[in-house]
Amino acid sequence: MTDRARYEESDTVDFVIVGSGAAGGVLARELSVAGFRIVVLEQGPYRRNADFTHDEVGVFFENQLMGGAADPQTFRHAETEQAQVQLNPPAALYARTVGGSSTHFSGNFWRLRPLDFKERTLLGDIKGTGFADWPVSYEEMEPYYTRVDWEIGVSGAPGPFDPPRSRPYPVPPLPRKSSGVLFDKGARKIGLTTQPAPKAILSAPHNGRAACIHCGFCLAFGCEVGAKSSTLVTMIPQAEATGRCEIRADSTVARLETNASGKISQVVYFDKAGKEHAQKTHAVILAANGVETPRLLFLSATPAQPDGLANSSGLVGKYLMFNHHSVAHAWFEEPLNEYKSVQCTRIAMDFYETDPQRGFYGGGVLDARPFLNSYPIAFGLSGIDPQLPQWGKEYKQLLEQNFTRNMTIIGNTTSLPQLSNNVTLDPDKKDGYGRPLVRMTYRDHAHDHAMASFLQEKALAIFDAAGATHAWGEPVRDQRLGAHLLGTCRMGDDPAASVVDRYHRSHDVRNLFICDGSSFVTSGRGQPTMTIQALAFRAAEHIARFANNNEI
Amino acid sequence: MKKISRREFLRDSGSLAGSSWLALQMPVMLAAGQVACSAKESRAAFRNLTPLEGREFSAIAAQIMPATDTPGATEVGVIYFIDEALGGFMAGAKGFLAQGLDELLSANNGSFAELPADRQISALRAIENGSFFQLLRLLTVAGMFCMPQRGGNRDHLGWQLIGFDHRHAWQPPFGYYDAREGNEND
Repeated sequence: MTDRARYEESDTVDFVIVGSGAAGGVLARELSVAGFRIVVLEQGPYRRNADFTHDEVGVFFENQLMGGAADPQTFRHAETEQAQVQLNPPAALYARTVGGSSTHFSGNFWRLRPLDFKERTLLGDIKGTGFADWPVSYEEMEPYYTRVDWEIGVSGAPGPFDPPRSRPYPVPPLPRKSSGVLFDKGARKIGLTTQPAPKAILSAPHNGRAACIHCGFCLAFGCEVGAKSSTLVTMIPQAEATGRCEIRADSTVARLETNASGKISQVVYFDKAGKEHAQKTHAVILAANGVETPRLLFLSATPAQPDGLANSSGLVGKYLMFNHHSVAHAWFEEPLNEYKSVQCTRIAMDFYETDPQRGFYGGGVLDARPFLNSYPIAFGLSGIDPQLPQWGKEYKQLLEQNFTRNMTIIGNTTSLPQLSNNVTLDPDKKDGYGRPLVRMTYRDHAHDHAMASFLQEKALAIFDAAGATHAWGEPVRDQRLGAHLLGTCRMGDDPAASVVDRYHRSHDVRNLFICDGSSFVTSGRGQPTMTIQALAFRAAEHIARFANNNEI
Repeated sequence: MKKISRREFLRDSGSLAGSSWLALQMPVMLAAGQVACSAKESRAAFRNLTPLEGREFSAIAAQIMPATDTPGATEVGVIYFIDEALGGFMAGAKGFLAQGLDELLSANNGSFAELPADRQISALRAIENGSFFQLLRLLTVAGMFCMPQRGGNRDHLGWQLIGFDHRHAWQPPFGYYDAREGNEND
């Protein structure tokens, strides 16, 4: 067995990768396998499968995976408001742990479609937004999506609306749950076409990992058996096995430091005790997520680049997109027991494309799942229709009757890129390391709400057709938080209109690459991680080529 | 311990009202520190509650989650979860809860626990939209359904009443409808 790599800070490595999540894990594996010497700086601890629990108090109230209250964020809807600290849940939901948010997501892994990459061309300008085409096409991305399927591990079966694929799924879909059965029944009655949900959770052993045992604790929790295809159990062990990749956990980056020629020479970070370190490197890849990545660029401003490193376009931190998610709940006569197995087993993609007849931009995907109502405490707090009693005898009877009988349909929808939705540094408040807090400014576009409401109406129609005894929708309103952190360092060919080029290299800083949710140009239809990982596979290939050709 | 003013508390909770994620929010400064994970086997003295708080909060919890033909907050040991929580993730809310209890007691001639049930219910109706009640509701629900090592959900009684069977592995079929229609996913 190869010894794990351990680099001295004065030893100039080939790449420092900031972040070990969906993108960082892939980049670390690809580049270390290709022979490069890598240090991955991860602000969270190195948790293993056995460290994950089913403890709702720890996950929801103590925020164990999301880092507790040590580095809060501030939030406001508009520039005219004073941003307020938003502690729990934070405004940007992401796990601080090796493997990042790929450890606590629920693993919905549908691909973008050809149209997603060229919607601006197909639909034209949308006034007041940064609606644009991507600098890559689906055809160019397809081989990398297939690598995600096989190397990360995705369970699924082709659906009627799927884009072309060069290889089948490696393992079949997970077993259909009662929510999937009822969703199928209702959706078909109203003329929709359902299909298996592709999941980054194994239905059968694959690549040396075991299959899901249906414990039911995916969303917001880590997987105790490694069946969820996080980078923690897929890419990172392979990166470490090369002997060339060091995962340095509990390392919070302070800034990237540039030399006189404008190239990054070292990455300054704090260890767990708050002591400052600096790792020398030939190049840096930021994969810290759509909120932390722009934050680090702002923190790395220089006299020559006072508005933030790599920010000559002024677009670092801009065009933040959360995706919208409308939520509808229902109760049925017999037990569904949605607390067992994965969140979602069936989806409907009939409304994926923008339909000009609807009168607004947007598309989306309906999925059947318990959402948070599979968890006893979460169900107790918010599982009963707000129109019904929320405490006392009747409330308790409703809990007894409906914990096993509920399901939810989520409408996963688009967000338009708007300059007014952004990440900046909070001018007043600082974290424990003295870094300014992340400040988010976000208000959904009217079209985002219209699309979310449209899908919620469909969800309620599905419940009705499926024979629900009771159903209601959560009001569609301006979001105050997002788990999908997209668009804040967008890709593009024009240095004036994008932060990185089509190969994820900064237009401004030659040895800086950025690859994570921030690279997105448009939002997709609500489930971005698979595309983040496909981008990372593709970026790694090009970055390795540049390094080998001495072009960094 | 920094005390959160009522105004701050109401402002934060009001601005955060919303979807399911938000219903889980706990808009108080969460003090660092972990809740001790040992089950409270002996139902001895409280660690963080005064005897008065223990008695009064128990009575409130028992109205939020009353004993019916199934156990309620008292039988499930919710108060021991609250006691643990106030030394852990909810430590920042201790002063706020004490203040809220003072106000409730003043409005009810000095004792809530001593009131007859119908008057307890009307006293809580009067404050049910306020942060004090909402926080106690959150703690009661969490104490009913938490993992027992957190201090509540004694002998899994809370889980039993809603039908949650905590196992680490399941096999299909999972529920009535997939058992009837089959688990094949194609």
